[in-house]
Amino acid sequence: MQYGAAAAEQAWYMPVVAPSSAVETAAERMERLASESAVVVFSVSTCCMCHAVKRLFCGMGVHPTVHELDLDPRGRELERALACLLGASGASAAGAPVVPIVFIGGRLVGAMDRVMAAHINGSLVPLLKEAGALWL
Amino acid sequence: MGETSSSSHSRQDPCVLGYGFHGAIANSTPANFFSDQEGAVYFGELEETFMHQVASLTRTQQAATTSIAHHGDIKPFPTAATVTAATATARPPPTLDIFPACPMRSLHTPKEGSNVTADSTDDSESSSKNNSNHSSVQHGAAADMQNQFDQVSQQQQLQHKNMATSSTPRTGKTPDRKTIRRLAQNREAARKSRLRKKAYIQQLESSKLKLAQIEQDMQRARSQGIFLGGAPGANTTSTGAAMFDVEYARWLDDHGRRMAELHGALHAHLPDGDLRAIVDDTLTHHDELFQLKASAAKSDVFHLITGVWTTPAERCFLWMGGFRPSDLVKTLLPQLDPLTEQQLVGICNLQQSSQQAEEALSQGLDQLHQSLADTMAGGSLIDDTNMSFMGQMALALGKLSNLEGFVIQADNLRQQTLHQMHRILTVRQAARCFLAIGEYHNRLRALSSLWISRPREILGADEGNCGEISIAAQASQSQFSSF
Repeated sequence: MQYGAAAAEQAWYMPVVAPSSAVETAAERMERLASESAVVVFSVSTCCMCHAVKRLFCGMGVHPTVHELDLDPRGRELERALACLLGASGASAAGAPVVPIVFIGGRLVGAMDRVMAAHINGSLVPLLKEAGALWL
Repeated sequence: MGETSSSSHSRQDPCVLGYGFHGAIANSTPANFFSDQEGAVYFGELEETFMHQVASLTRTQQAATTSIAHHGDIKPFPTAATVTAATATARPPPTLDIFPACPMRSLHTPKEGSNVTADSTDDSESSSKNNSNHSSVQHGAAADMQNQFDQVSQQQQLQHKNMATSSTPRTGKTPDRKTIRRLAQNREAARKSRLRKKAYIQQLESSKLKLAQIEQDMQRARSQGIFLGGAPGANTTSTGAAMFDVEYARWLDDHGRRMAELHGALHAHLPDGDLRAIVDDTLTHHDELFQLKASAAKSDVFHLITGVWTTPAERCFLWMGGFRPSDLVKTLLPQLDPLTEQQLVGICNLQQSSQQAEEALSQGLDQLHQSLADTMAGGSLIDDTNMSFMGQMALALGKLSNLEGFVIQADNLRQQTLHQMHRILTVRQAARCFLAIGEYHNRLRALSSLWISRPREILGADEGNCGEISIAAQASQSQFSSF
């Protein structure tokens, strides 16, 4: 029955067998979303830095899958999951915006500074090629 | 003309030759007044000062012979003070001023000694004060002098003859007088230099105290500034900005030193290991600047983004609070020859990727501007009834806070670019690269200061400014001549 109701509202989600706590679900959802495309960007529609990261990829000829968290009904949870992920991997100041966050090939690359650092030191393009987002 | 005068005379010179030779002789080096042409010198001076001393020349002859007579006196001087004391007393009336002569010390030493000793030991006293002192001395001794004239008149003939003989080459006779005078001058000079040294040390001490006090004040101000850092207020420079300016100035000084060190190391052909250490230190030093800028961005982003902290020429090229990385790489590329094929590819890729990153950040910033403008213009700009003013402001404040993120990302881009250059290049190439970066920014700073001090056209210039313009023009000429 949860399927039906859930499926109707969230048709794009895969059926969840047993809904655990919200954070876990969100985390799982996040992982799932991140693995769905070669390049995934979690963003907020009004965030200018997110706009910058999108422009960066478009400039390189990459078309990322963008998830706007403010337009997502469960975006808040996702944001929290992302914050936990960032907190676990190292740097995230309290109050600083979590987005944009970039996943390439299902693996976390990081926030804007990591993406730019990767691009400058030449590791971004091979990563993109490996994930199949770039052909050259 | 006896421009040379002994140190003992230098104080009396204002009196002696005051009317014409005050400035010239006031600081003359001690020299032996008794040249080979002693008599000629004396009489030369006499002639000079006769021109100036029109009135009361009644005693001139007597005074002349009197003082000349005392030149012939060979009694040794106990101290320079007595010399000067007697010298001073030898010229009480104006007519006797003209004689920087041997003193009548035996007559007036006890009376005037203390007075003139004070004069003789004080080099820094103004000559006018000396004048007044001497004039008082003069007047006091004038009467005495007149009394002594009769007493010494008998000696005049004798000493005049001595004077004449003394004008013969000094190498023959025992130059007691000259030695004595020289010794006296030396003592004077030594005393003066001791006093100068004392004054200098006192000055140093007081500046040291002042410096300690200033540092203390700065520490206090800085701690207070950190405490109040959250609310800069309406003053022109917030404490965060002021602190950054101070730190940046210090960084620049440090940078200059490191560049000189790097330059020296490069041209001394040090082994690669040592050079690598220096180059790595330079890179770390640049990282420190980015740290400073990051903390400054958090406290006052507008200070960074408007480029107030840089010089005008640098500000011309300002991009998001600093240099544009792709431009820097483009500038450096021709300076780094020869490069291997691989290095060339790496640097070209670096230039391209930094350009793409800059483009992305610029577009993000554009969107921020647009969004901010929309928020500010939200509702009606014309009608006064704007209910959501504070709401608008709150929204705008939130958007404005994103500016900080852009400056930090831009600095991050710069830092990454420098690190990548360091990775691609060999040690020597990297050294040359950092030197080139330093020199490029130095030239921009030099350009700025030249620009600020350039001569300007002043419409309807008054007389007073013409001199300034010509001086400024000359200054800039000389600056340009070095290029």
